[in-house]
Amino acid sequence: MNEAFNLPFWAEIVVSAFVLLGASLALIGTIGLARLPTFFERLHAPTLGTSWGTGAMVMASMIFFTVTSGRPVFHEILIGIFVTVTTPVTLMLLAQSTLHRERAEGNPDVPASISKTPAADSDPKEA
Amino acid sequence: MPEYLLLLLLVLPFAGSLAIASLLRTAARTLPSWLAGGVALLATILTASYYPSVTNGKVVRYEIAWLPELGLNFTLRLDGFAWLFTMLVTAIGFLVVLYARYYMSAEDPIPRFFSFLLAFMGAMLGVVLSGNIILLSIFWELTSIFSFLLIGYWYHNANARDGARMALTITGIGGFCLLVGFLLIGHIVGSYDLDRVLASGDIIREHPLYLPALVLILIGALTKSAQFPFHFWLPNAMAAPTPVSAYLHSATMVKAGVFLLVRLWPALSGTFEWFWLVGFAGISTLLLGAYFAIFQRDLKGLLAYSTISHLGLITTLLSLGSPLAAVAAIFHMVNHATFKASLFMAAGIIDHETGTRDMQKLSGLFRYLPYTASLAMVACAAMAGVPLLNGFLSKEMFFAEAVETHADSILDQALPYIATLAGAFSVAYSIRFIHTVFFGPPPTDLPKPHPHEPPRWMRFPVESLVFACLIVGIVPGLSIGPFLHTAVLSVLGPETPYYSLAVWHGFNLPLVMSIVAMLGGAALYFALHNYLARCEDGPPIFRHLRGQRIFERILVTVSWKWARWLETNIGTRRLQPQLRIVAVVAFLAAFLPLHLSGFDAKLPPVRGVDPAFVMLWIIGMLSALAAAFLAKYHRFAALLLIGGSGIVTCVTFAWLSAPDLAITQLLVEIVTTVLLLLGLRWLPKRLDKIDESATFSARLRRLRDFAIAVACGVGMSILAYTVMTLPVPDTIANFFLERAYSEGGGRNVVNVILVDFRGFDTMGEIAVLGIVALTVFALLRRFRPATESIGLPEQQRIQNAYDDAQPERNKGDTVRDYLFVPSVVMQWLFPVVITFAIYLFMRGHDLPGGGFAAGITMAIAFLLQYLAGGTRWAEDRLRILPLRWIAFGLLIAAATGAGSWFFGYPFLTSHSQYLTLPLIGKVPTASALLFDLGVFSLVVGATVLILIAIAHQSIRTYRVKAAPKTEDA
Repeated sequence: MNEAFNLPFWAEIVVSAFVLLGASLALIGTIGLARLPTFFERLHAPTLGTSWGTGAMVMASMIFFTVTSGRPVFHEILIGIFVTVTTPVTLMLLAQSTLHRERAEGNPDVPASISKTPAADSDPKEA
Repeated sequence: MPEYLLLLLLVLPFAGSLAIASLLRTAARTLPSWLAGGVALLATILTASYYPSVTNGKVVRYEIAWLPELGLNFTLRLDGFAWLFTMLVTAIGFLVVLYARYYMSAEDPIPRFFSFLLAFMGAMLGVVLSGNIILLSIFWELTSIFSFLLIGYWYHNANARDGARMALTITGIGGFCLLVGFLLIGHIVGSYDLDRVLASGDIIREHPLYLPALVLILIGALTKSAQFPFHFWLPNAMAAPTPVSAYLHSATMVKAGVFLLVRLWPALSGTFEWFWLVGFAGISTLLLGAYFAIFQRDLKGLLAYSTISHLGLITTLLSLGSPLAAVAAIFHMVNHATFKASLFMAAGIIDHETGTRDMQKLSGLFRYLPYTASLAMVACAAMAGVPLLNGFLSKEMFFAEAVETHADSILDQALPYIATLAGAFSVAYSIRFIHTVFFGPPPTDLPKPHPHEPPRWMRFPVESLVFACLIVGIVPGLSIGPFLHTAVLSVLGPETPYYSLAVWHGFNLPLVMSIVAMLGGAALYFALHNYLARCEDGPPIFRHLRGQRIFERILVTVSWKWARWLETNIGTRRLQPQLRIVAVVAFLAAFLPLHLSGFDAKLPPVRGVDPAFVMLWIIGMLSALAAAFLAKYHRFAALLLIGGSGIVTCVTFAWLSAPDLAITQLLVEIVTTVLLLLGLRWLPKRLDKIDESATFSARLRRLRDFAIAVACGVGMSILAYTVMTLPVPDTIANFFLERAYSEGGGRNVVNVILVDFRGFDTMGEIAVLGIVALTVFALLRRFRPATESIGLPEQQRIQNAYDDAQPERNKGDTVRDYLFVPSVVMQWLFPVVITFAIYLFMRGHDLPGGGFAAGITMAIAFLLQYLAGGTRWAEDRLRILPLRWIAFGLLIAAATGAGSWFFGYPFLTSHSQYLTLPLIGKVPTASALLFDLGVFSLVVGATVLILIAIAHQSIRTYRVKAAPKTEDA
């Protein structure tokens, strides 16, 4: 952590602002995950951390290392890209499978598919 | 003669055998015979030229360090006795090859025969030349194996198969006992070197382990030499082709037992136990063998029992423990080999010409085969001990020794009478052989009605051997004398007694015994003549007591009844008891030694730990406990929780500055979880209702299992904790840390240890990994899930029903729709993950990463494609050949290791330097990188193979239909 002492004041402000922003977004997302009532609502909460939360952290890291090492450091962007690309896959899979299950179980709260849902006419309990 | 030529002598037959084996698929007949004959002749000449180096007790030794730390060296040793025996093996070997060239018929596969025969010759030379007793026992086993193959040469014949199996079982058990005996001797002497063993006779005889060692070695020697009560395999081995009988079962292999007794005579003999054990076996064999031989109908059977009896004679001589008797034993070994091999060959000629070996059918063949008949008569006379033939000389020596008192006992006092009686029997069966086969009326019902003399060169081996009988018998001092003296000197050393090989010793007691035996034998034969012409096979009374039957009974009892009993009473097919036993045994294996050595588990207080770390561990432990708690009814949740504790382990590694382990743990965790997840599909469906009522016994059982689990877990934790907190002042770790860069050329110490310092371990490990993958594949390939798990899962059935109901949809469209975006992303990630794998691989030598991590990453890339598009989709687009990846990995790892040989370094020596590549810059290119490539490839192959094995379950069709219950649900 010795490099931190070489950081100019303006950079300290910027880096800490980004870190705080990222951390708060992640914290809010986590609280949301715990507190929101239904599964579909909960799905939204963690995306705060994985989108802007990650972005802010990456920005902070890039500025910090660019200033301390005296040359542009960009490879953190890769982290951002991968998180952005892969997290939606997880969430989408979760959402889709839950949706499928809810429809299959004939839950009236979930919207029907634009095409006719599989569950609508072949509910196993009625078949 | 340079001593390294001994190695050539030993390798030559094996090399010849391999060369002939390369002709196995061809119809070559002449080339194998010439090759075999050439090798045997060359070996004979080589042996003969060693003679000047072994006279006067000189010994030729050639030693190659093999496992010097264990006292095991590849030592070859040629002394006078070994020389004499080598000469027998090679010279008779040559004659047998010549004979077999004409004996084998047109249908027999010649290359196989000569290949085995030469390999046997090599094994036999190995027994004779070994200067290390462990090496000797290895070659000893080899002779058993090649004997098995040669007896079973005509494997379409049931007798040949049975005889071969019996010979292998008996001599194999003997060989095993011999090995144990040798290990005991090695323990007593402190060395396996033959010279050391021979020089330590007094130490061995005084040692408390002398008797067990003696008994074990005797079992080995007596089974090999077909001594009572193990004699019965030899007559059954007569189903072998006659050249094999002549070579293995008269001249060489059965002599290996008595060879060993002579070899170890200075070390083991001279005690009371020796006399009783060896003497009892020898005398009973001598008498019973000769008696049984009289009543055989089969020519070869007669010769086989006669061989047993003569081996008994040699054993008896050796049991007496007097130097003179040892001289007689060595002399008789040579004599017996010459006359018995020639008799077997003569029997083979008779069989070859007439088509039968049944003495009740053969008769009056003298008029057809006068020449062969004369040769056989001389050899038979030698067998009976007629003067002026070699058999007479050694038999006289035997009679002389029998009269002497050695160890005063009933056995010793009875010996002269038993010897004379056995002599009379041998005269009787010799006369029977000659009289029935060659004299009397012409034969009436021969399978081949017009017998005639065999080809000139088929007779030559018989002629040579019979000539040797005559020469030795008439002028022993000039012919065999010096060679025998050399042999005797090398065994007895300074104890060598004065002995005379003269034909005429004056009118003494042994001569009287000889005359009595001659007359008695002749009288016995003519008294039994009419009975023998009609009787059943085998001696009266004893013919009902068949060794073979008893042997088979024992085999059935041991390998069938007892095995069944053990299986039903001790074994189980249920998985739970097996796992329980494994856990308990593992626990006891750790607990008992620690407890006995006074291990005291002291848990030092935990101090100065970061609270965050403690929190982390509490989460991990809770995950593990919850996983165990949920494992019964909520497998999926349990699996996720296991993954949670895995992540905690991974974070722990990172926390404790082990990034290498952390990366590997993370990757392994991913693959394990996914593979287990795929496997969950095939577990039986959960019952709809959870039955909470449990019987008392069930509760008790659960309590016990719980106790076992807790004991194992707590024990493991205590053990690990104690080991990790032990203060270790100076470990090998420092060595690695210091040398990793200077000698391994890498900054990542873990990786350098894996691929360089301990590369051989890694190679073993990847081999194990490959084997595990193949095993999983083999098990899953034949895996048939329980009928209730075969039916499609409910979700999938709903989707399929929906797709079927819509005419414009194909089966699988629904799931494809749902997975559309995720699967596209997963497919796009394929090259990215591969790049990551390459990155991990390339930086492995200097930074965290390496072949193993890269391999798993690569496997994850494939795994992802299977998940994204399904098995069929992935395999339509990707041609993954996991077996080739595994093979390539093993090969390249081994080749890299072997590559260092070319530069004169030991296996797996690594070389490193930096290579400058355009664009990328300096790249470390240690040869260890190549080795790592092997690791990488094997890990990819192994992981993907397991994945494929599981994935293919879902696209199989099953012959057994799914249980109806799941169909209706």
